[in-house]
Amino acid sequence: MTRWFSSLLKIHIDFKTSHTLFPTIVICLLVFLLVLIFLVHGIPWLRDLRSGKRRLTLGLAHLDKLRFFGTLVLTVAYFLLMDHVGRFFPNTGLGFLFVSIPFIFVLSLLFAHRIDRRKLVAISLNALIAPGVAWYVLAKLFNISLP
Amino acid sequence: MDHFFSLSITFFLMIPVGVLIGILFGAIPGMTATMAVAVCLPLTYALNLNQALGLLLGLYVGGISGGLVPAILINIPGTPSSIATTFDGYPMAAKGEAEKALKIGIVSSLFGGLFSAGILLFFAPALADVAIKFSYVEKFLVILFALTVIASLSKSMLMGIFSGVLGVLISLIGAYDINLGGNGEYRLMLPFMEKSLEDGFSLLPVLIGLFGLATILEEAANGVPEEFAGDALGRLHHAKFSLRVFKGQAINLIRSSSIGTFVGLLPGVGGSAASILSYTQGKNFSKEPSKWGTGIPDGVIASEASNNGLTGGALIPLLSLGIPGDSTTAVLIGAFTLQGIQVGPLFIGENPTIWHTMMLALLLANLVMFVVMFFSIKYIAKVITVPKYILDPIIIMMCVVGAYAINYGVMFDVWTLLIFGLFGYLGQKIGIEIAPFIIGFILGKSAEIYFVKSLESFGTLTIFFTKSPIALFLWVLILLSLAFPIYVKVKAAKRNEGRSTGGP
Repeated sequence: MTRWFSSLLKIHIDFKTSHTLFPTIVICLLVFLLVLIFLVHGIPWLRDLRSGKRRLTLGLAHLDKLRFFGTLVLTVAYFLLMDHVGRFFPNTGLGFLFVSIPFIFVLSLLFAHRIDRRKLVAISLNALIAPGVAWYVLAKLFNISLP
Repeated sequence: MDHFFSLSITFFLMIPVGVLIGILFGAIPGMTATMAVAVCLPLTYALNLNQALGLLLGLYVGGISGGLVPAILINIPGTPSSIATTFDGYPMAAKGEAEKALKIGIVSSLFGGLFSAGILLFFAPALADVAIKFSYVEKFLVILFALTVIASLSKSMLMGIFSGVLGVLISLIGAYDINLGGNGEYRLMLPFMEKSLEDGFSLLPVLIGLFGLATILEEAANGVPEEFAGDALGRLHHAKFSLRVFKGQAINLIRSSSIGTFVGLLPGVGGSAASILSYTQGKNFSKEPSKWGTGIPDGVIASEASNNGLTGGALIPLLSLGIPGDSTTAVLIGAFTLQGIQVGPLFIGENPTIWHTMMLALLLANLVMFVVMFFSIKYIAKVITVPKYILDPIIIMMCVVGAYAINYGVMFDVWTLLIFGLFGYLGQKIGIEIAPFIIGFILGKSAEIYFVKSLESFGTLTIFFTKSPIALFLWVLILLSLAFPIYVKVKAAKRNEGRSTGGP
C-alpha cells in the first residue's frame, strides 16, 4: 500500500518540457479555486440577484463616467502621442515635455469642479511648471531616458 | 565605523528629501507610502546605491508617518496604516486638541520606528543565518507560507489565495529563464507577444500601475471630489502638547510597537492591519475601554506606534528571505534590484557595509521624520488643502517617467503601466486582492525554479515533506495559517448564533 502510494508521488521531469510543468499546475489550481469561489460566493450571489436583493452593478453604480472614461482616453492619447512626438526629437525627452503640458492641462480641467479664473490660472501654471521641472531635473540633470 | 565617514553629503541630504516627500504623500489622502516610493523611483535611477537607499528609506518612513495628519485633522486616514488614528485623533481635534494629538502621534511614531529598527538590527541577521541553510525545498515552502499567510489575512481567504496564485501565473509569462536554470522555452504566450514579453512583465511598471495609476483611476471614477479642509487648519492653535501625556503609556507604546513589528514580519500584510490590531488590543487591555474612541491619547499612541513599528518589521523578511513584508517593501525590492542588490539570506553576510548603511539610513530617517514633523507640523498640515485636480495629473506623469525609464526607454513598459493600472482598478471591483497578487507576482518565478528543480533532483513529491525537520515545521505553519481564519470565522458564527437565540 505504502509502496503503491509513494510510486504515485514519483515524478520524472523531461528537461525539454519542464517549462510547462509549473504553469500547468498553477492553471489547474486556479480553475479549482474558481470552482470553489463559485460554490462559496457565486451561488449565494446569483440567488440574491434572482430574488432582487442585489443588482448587477459591479460597484460601478456611482461611476463618474465623464471623468473615468475621459481619464482613460486622455491617458491612452498621452502615451501614443508621447512616443510619436518623441521620435522627432530623439534622446532629448522633448516628446515627453511637449505632450505632458497639454495632457496635464486638459486632465486638470477634467478633474476640477466649478472652474473660475483663479483655478484656471493655477491649472495653467501647473501644466507649464510641473512637466518643465520634471523634464529639467530628470532629463537634463540626471540624464534619465524620457520619450 | 570608517565606512560611515566615507558616506557622501548627498546620502545625508537624500534622507530629509525622501522623508519630506514621503510625509507630503502620506498626508494627502488617497496617496500612500507605496505610491511615494513608486512615483519617486525615477529619481533613484541617477543616484548611487547609498544615496538611493537614503531616499527610499526616507520615503518609506515619511510616507507611513505623514498619514496621521489628515487622520487627525479631517478624519480621513492619509494612508491605510493610519486608519485607527482617526478613532481617537479626530475626536481630540474636534475638542480643540489637534496640535496635541498630532504631536502625540509624532512622538509615538518615532518610538515605534526606532523600536522596530532595533528589532530589525538583531533579528534580520539571525533569521538570515537560519535561512542560509535552506535548500530549494524549504525555499519553496517559505514562499507557499508567505502566500497562505497573506491570503488568510485577506477579506476573503479564497479570493486572497486566488489573487496570489493569479499573481504567480502572470509572473510565469515569458521564457523559462535560462539564467535561473530553465530551458529558455516560451510559455503562456501568443506569437505576437514574443517581442515585448520575452522576459515577462517588468516588475516596476506593474507595481507603479497597481499602486499609482489604479489609485488615480479610482479617484476619477469617484468624480475627484473637492474636499474643503480649510476649517481643519483653524483647529491647530489650541491645546498645547507636553511630554507628560506619555506618563503611564510605556506599556501601550511597547505593546503597540511590538504588534506593528510582528505584523510587518508577516509577508504582505500592511499597515492597516497593524493599526487596527494594535488599537483593539490597546482597548482590550485598557482599564477604561469605554473611553477609547472619545478622543484620548491612548488610541493615537496605539495606532501610530504600531504603524511605524511596521517599517522595521516589514524589512526583516525582505532582507533575510527576499520576501516583502508589505506593499511598500514590494516596491523597494524592485528598486533594490535596480541598484544591483539581490536581497535574500546571503544579503546581510555578503554586504555588511550596505546593511549598516541601510540601518543608519533607517535610524536617521526616523529622527529626521520626528524633527521635521514635530517642529513644522503647522506648515505640513497645509498640504491637505492642495487640490487633487493639480496633484493627480502630476502623479500620472511621474508614473510614466518611472515606467519608461526603468529599462532605459521601453515604450511597452508604459503600456504595462496602463494594463496593470486598469487591472488594479477593475480587479478590486470583483474582489481581487492586490497585496497577495503582488507577492505572488514577485515570488512566482522563484517558486517555479525551487519547485521544478527540487522535483528534478529528487523525483518524488514526498521530498517536500521529508527533506528536513524545517520543511515539516513550515508545513505546520502553512496549515496553521490556513486553519486560523477558519477557526476565527466558526467562533464568530457560533457567537452570533448564541446572541440571536438569546444564549449566553
